[in-house]
Amino acid sequence: MNTLSIKDRFRLNRFFAGENPSDEAIPLNQRRIFILPSKRGLSFVVLILLLLLIAFVYNNNLAYFLTFLLASVFFIGILHSYKALAGLIIQKGQCKPVFAGERAVFEIHIDNPIPVPRLSLEIDLHDKTQMTLAPYEKKAVRLYAPTERRGHQPCGTITLSSGYPLGLFRAWSPLRFNLSVLVYPKPWPQEIPFPETGGGASDQGKAEKGTDDFYGLQEYQRGDSIKRIHWKAYAKGQGLFSKQYSGEQGDELWLHYEASAGYGNEERLSRLCRWVLDAEKAGLRYGLKLPGQKIGLGIGHAHRARCLEALALF
Amino acid sequence: MLASIEKNILLFLLISVGLIALPHIYHIPASIFGFFVLLLTWRFIGIWKPSCLPGKLLLFLLTVGGLVLLYSQHQGLFGRDAGTRLFMTALALKLLEIRQERDLYLIVFLAFIVAASQFLYEQSIAMAGYILFVCCVLLGTLVAINSRRQNTLNALKTSAVILAQALPLAIVLFVFFPRVEAPRWMLFEDKSRAKTGLSDSMEPGSISDLGFSDELVFRVRFQGPIPPNAQRYWRGPVFSVTDGKRWTAAKRYTYTAAAEPDFSEPAYRYTLLLEPQNNNWVFALEMAGDFPPQLHMNSEYLLTRSGNPDKRAEYPFTSYPSYRTGELSGHKLRTNTQLPGPASQKITSLIKRLGGFDTRPEQFVDRVLQHFNRENFSYTLTPPLMEDNPIETFLFETRSGFCSHYAAAFTYLMRVANIPARVVTGYHGGVLNPVGNFLEIRQADAHAWTEVWLENRGWVRVDPTAAVAPERIEQNVNIEQQIASRNISFFSADSELARQLDWLKQARQLWSSVDYNWQRWVINYHSANQTQFLASLGIESLKQMLYWLVGLGALFTSILSWLLLSRKEKTADKVLRCYRRFCARLGKAGLKRNAGEGPLDFAKRSKKAYPKQTEAIDEITGLFIKLRYQKESSQADLSRLSERVDQLKIRRR
Repeated sequence: MNTLSIKDRFRLNRFFAGENPSDEAIPLNQRRIFILPSKRGLSFVVLILLLLLIAFVYNNNLAYFLTFLLASVFFIGILHSYKALAGLIIQKGQCKPVFAGERAVFEIHIDNPIPVPRLSLEIDLHDKTQMTLAPYEKKAVRLYAPTERRGHQPCGTITLSSGYPLGLFRAWSPLRFNLSVLVYPKPWPQEIPFPETGGGASDQGKAEKGTDDFYGLQEYQRGDSIKRIHWKAYAKGQGLFSKQYSGEQGDELWLHYEASAGYGNEERLSRLCRWVLDAEKAGLRYGLKLPGQKIGLGIGHAHRARCLEALALF
Repeated sequence: MLASIEKNILLFLLISVGLIALPHIYHIPASIFGFFVLLLTWRFIGIWKPSCLPGKLLLFLLTVGGLVLLYSQHQGLFGRDAGTRLFMTALALKLLEIRQERDLYLIVFLAFIVAASQFLYEQSIAMAGYILFVCCVLLGTLVAINSRRQNTLNALKTSAVILAQALPLAIVLFVFFPRVEAPRWMLFEDKSRAKTGLSDSMEPGSISDLGFSDELVFRVRFQGPIPPNAQRYWRGPVFSVTDGKRWTAAKRYTYTAAAEPDFSEPAYRYTLLLEPQNNNWVFALEMAGDFPPQLHMNSEYLLTRSGNPDKRAEYPFTSYPSYRTGELSGHKLRTNTQLPGPASQKITSLIKRLGGFDTRPEQFVDRVLQHFNRENFSYTLTPPLMEDNPIETFLFETRSGFCSHYAAAFTYLMRVANIPARVVTGYHGGVLNPVGNFLEIRQADAHAWTEVWLENRGWVRVDPTAAVAPERIEQNVNIEQQIASRNISFFSADSELARQLDWLKQARQLWSSVDYNWQRWVINYHSANQTQFLASLGIESLKQMLYWLVGLGALFTSILSWLLLSRKEKTADKVLRCYRRFCARLGKAGLKRNAGEGPLDFAKRSKKAYPKQTEAIDEITGLFIKLRYQKESSQADLSRLSERVDQLKIRRR
């Protein structure tokens, strides 16, 4: 990470795509920051040439001086643009799974470790986000990206740029992190009845009825529905307990890949996804059977996530 | 979009545009300036009431109106005046059409051009300072556009810092950028613009700044000795008609032939190589006796040539510095004592005080010269404007001016005292080029003096400027150099007034010294000047010049980069580097820090893996967090952190 071969240094791609993805925090230095004049900078050059022509034709020394002053301002603008980004430390943050079609949210942390404010930063992933950083400020930035297909979707190149102070130059730094979002299949758009399963003729109606019969308390486990927490006991300081219902034991739902015969692979996964979500919502214990893969019966957040991940990566 | 452009940025921009245009109130016609002010005010109101800004149709009509206005005041398409008007009108129209950030940039760029155009009219120190200030405001506008949530005062501060940093580099460029004179075809003719060189009339009160260019007028090679500088008066147009402000030639003498004066030795023989001119005057040394037949000498001893003055021409002459002209005809006497009206009480009492009307003319001439010399008259190239009654204003109020002021005032006083007098313009002096052994006379040598007609002697040359600034006349140097380097005294030493106003004198001298240096080193730093200056530094070729330009540019850039970039980031970087080293050590031992793992979590994990190092790990982590996230961390903490990381000994698991 700290060394870069000569060959790599001159790779043109580095200017736009950034270096190899990183896990670490990336401090912005001369290796990471690229600077080129913006369109406005180029028109500023035209202005300088025009002023030079005026000074030349009229042989006017103060016009010359104004021209040279603006030329110097332009020139040292390079240093100032570098300063606009230099020293910032960028670190990757968390990224929660989303369903295909939703926007993925990538979180990155930008740290300004010096006592100089950064007044105009632009972060570009798919949309541009503008921000400022006060001296010593550390900010989390959420970047959005559209998702289309299930699976791991890497967060592409994040470009951090700034036109500060005069907008004549654009300093930018393409950053790549080992950061990807897990994209679940898109849930089937309409509600569909649960498939018939061999384990017991349970349907949605029955399951709902089953939840009425209180059976007992069980120690709270991660993933248990918040609705079932026995709040009274918690209020008395006896700890967290989940209520158990008698109907539940029988309400086992097996979600088969084969249950959606006649559909294509993606559509099947989409339907399964829908069922997982519905089953979770209905409070059913459900399991997932995919060709070559089986996830046992369960319920709760973690279980749901496991099932959806299996669907996403299938 | 318009909504996104903040009010204070607009306000800032409009104020700077107003400031940049303000001095043009003197330079462009009132109608165009009025148009500009109208549109600017409209735009100002538009900040608070966007609904009143013009729509597309109205804007189109305004544009047409602006063009009509330009056409009605037209001065051609190119040239200083036309260009200034064009840019002012464009700037005004663009103000009403601000839609995007890009439009703001265009306005700022146009404003910079208008700023440069100010210098084509005036090049004083005050103007330079003013424009520098306005440029700072303009750059501040750009800073404000490019920074979110920053107040305008801070933006102004940032732009001032940037300008200050750019200054050394600009000075290097200014000194070393090769100056090449523009080819002639590029010089756009401006009808209204005072041309460099002599003109066919003289109006001292209306010129506040005598632009002196280094342009060569003619070269003279003498056969034999060269006359002393005090005799080197190259005669040009003679003005004997005045309306009190303006002096012009008497038309009826233009073509009448001269009666040849009586000449006496010594005689100077020379050839004169005249550069292309605007007028057909030929400037011979006073007084030309023999001249080529294609030249014509009128009765005011002005030589003219027929044919195209645009061509370089060479003429042989013989001139006699001592000469005696004949009697004055009745008509000539009337012309040369002509006055615009009766003289004022003030003037007559001054003349009486100096012994006019009842002493001999020679004596009166001397007394007036003494008056110039003893009172606090000063020589300056940048006198104040004297719009009405320039002679009286000059004699009694401002008392500072250049040769035209002195010549006009002197001639006027003579005429009021019934002594025939007239103003003669031409060139004076010239610099000897030791290599070619010839004199070079440049536009900067333009001069005006007086001739009085005295009984038995005829027309006699009197140079009142010499009374004020004798150095200009007697020695072979420019007055501008003298004012600064030798502190010319405008007062005679024993004058009571001079003692009383000692501090004033010093201040004046200081100012003229500053002003001289400004004129000499900034305004007049042209190609010849530059070559001379750089040669004194040992830089003689263009190549060397470029080396210096690049070298000094690089030097200043590196100093600036060091100043700008080396500070502040250092500690943060060092802290991070130390911590990285710590992580790398543990990593080598087999405990890799996970992505996104906080320093505390990592510390917990590493303590579990290396319980023996608990203390060290805790301290390193603590120091790191303190240095990184708390403001009150010290240099000592950093060195301690570095030390601890180095001491850390971890054995491979």
